[in-house]
Amino acid sequence: MIEIKYFGAVAEKTKCAFEKISSSEISLQELLQNLEEKYQLEALSFSVAINQKIVKKASDYILQTTDVVALLPPFAGG
Amino acid sequence: MNIFERYNRQIILPEIGEAGQQKLSKSKVLVIGAGGLGAAVLPYLAAAGVGEIGIADDDVIEISNLHRQVIYKNSAVGKYKVEEAKLMISALNPSIQINVISEKLSGKNAISLFEKYDIIVDATDNIEIKYLINDACIITSKPMVYGSIFRFQGQVSVFNYQNGPTYRCLFPDENTQSLSCEDAGVIGISVGIIGMLQANEVIKMILEKGEVLSGKILVYNILNNEQQKFDFDKNSGFLVSLNAFNTKYNIAENQVEEVSVEEILNEINNEEVLFLDVRNHDELPKINFKNGIQIPLMNLENETQKLNQDQTIYIFCQSGIRSKMAVELLLKKNFKNVKSIYGGALAVKKLLQEKIII
Repeated sequence: MIEIKYFGAVAEKTKCAFEKISSSEISLQELLQNLEEKYQLEALSFSVAINQKIVKKASDYILQTTDVVALLPPFAGG
Repeated sequence: MNIFERYNRQIILPEIGEAGQQKLSKSKVLVIGAGGLGAAVLPYLAAAGVGEIGIADDDVIEISNLHRQVIYKNSAVGKYKVEEAKLMISALNPSIQINVISEKLSGKNAISLFEKYDIIVDATDNIEIKYLINDACIITSKPMVYGSIFRFQGQVSVFNYQNGPTYRCLFPDENTQSLSCEDAGVIGISVGIIGMLQANEVIKMILEKGEVLSGKILVYNILNNEQQKFDFDKNSGFLVSLNAFNTKYNIAENQVEEVSVEEILNEINNEEVLFLDVRNHDELPKINFKNGIQIPLMNLENETQKLNQDQTIYIFCQSGIRSKMAVELLLKKNFKNVKSIYGGALAVKKLLQEKIII
């Protein structure tokens, strides 16, 4: 199971702070495309981390079942 | 005053000592934004004895600010945040120097301002200005202590620390939107916690103790008390040069024309011109020109119908800062001939007394 965590405005869209998906042989780029379609995230800007490390979104890295992916948008309030 | 007594409880910490206290008193920190984050950062830096603190903000206090901007009094609604923040923190610690900058931060003033400080604290509430602060920090080689809020979550990081990763390395997409506190809602405690974490990063950098949040972003959720750190690398594709900075931010704007008091002396009884006082009604000294009118800056935008767009208008405030903002505002509203009086009411009063005109 790949765990996905959502923050800020992204979590408002997904209506959950995290979820687990069982996909095999899925790249980061494919996962992000699926999520953007599922939750209509195209208007939002966010960075992506795998296992607490920010990575390039256009990555063909094949996600491992122990990986934790995080979608992290910038905040603006102050 | 014995500084050992004032700062005793932190000086006795082995990580600080008298040497650390000296570092604090020699340091200069600029806090941009005197809103919710600034209201948490400012008193803690001042109380700890940071020797020189700049406060930059061009807003006035609104009643809806007070639930989170806890350094302001109810009686200060309508007054400038920088002035009230200065009053509050100088009462807390009179031994430090406090500079107020009531101009809006822009490409024109950011570099010269940042050069006067060691550390820049981003306590602002919109994304556009964060890119400006980031880029100006790169040009001037200053660390940027970033903090921001989305509802019950907050982010903290230190960018450009010792040439480390920047805001652009973390969030490269500049054309992004995120809701401000006004739009998204916010509770005072979340800005308080994040502001306090920013103050903590400032103190650690000055003392050179602990680990600075460089190349890391801390995300704090106050609803479940989860804290997470994410690492990120420097992306050298975002190096900013001074030329690139100037091209990006120094778009020619309406130039504010200033005149000296001496230059307008002959106009004092000229009924063709108007003297516009943009101070609040309770500010002293009172200056009553025959051909004068008073409209506080905060009301000016809604009361421009009281003015004639084709008339020559000389604008003054207390010191000459708000009057420049008033000129900009009126130029945008198609006024033809508006000028700011250099030195403001204080300079006017002085000259009038010398010439014994009133």
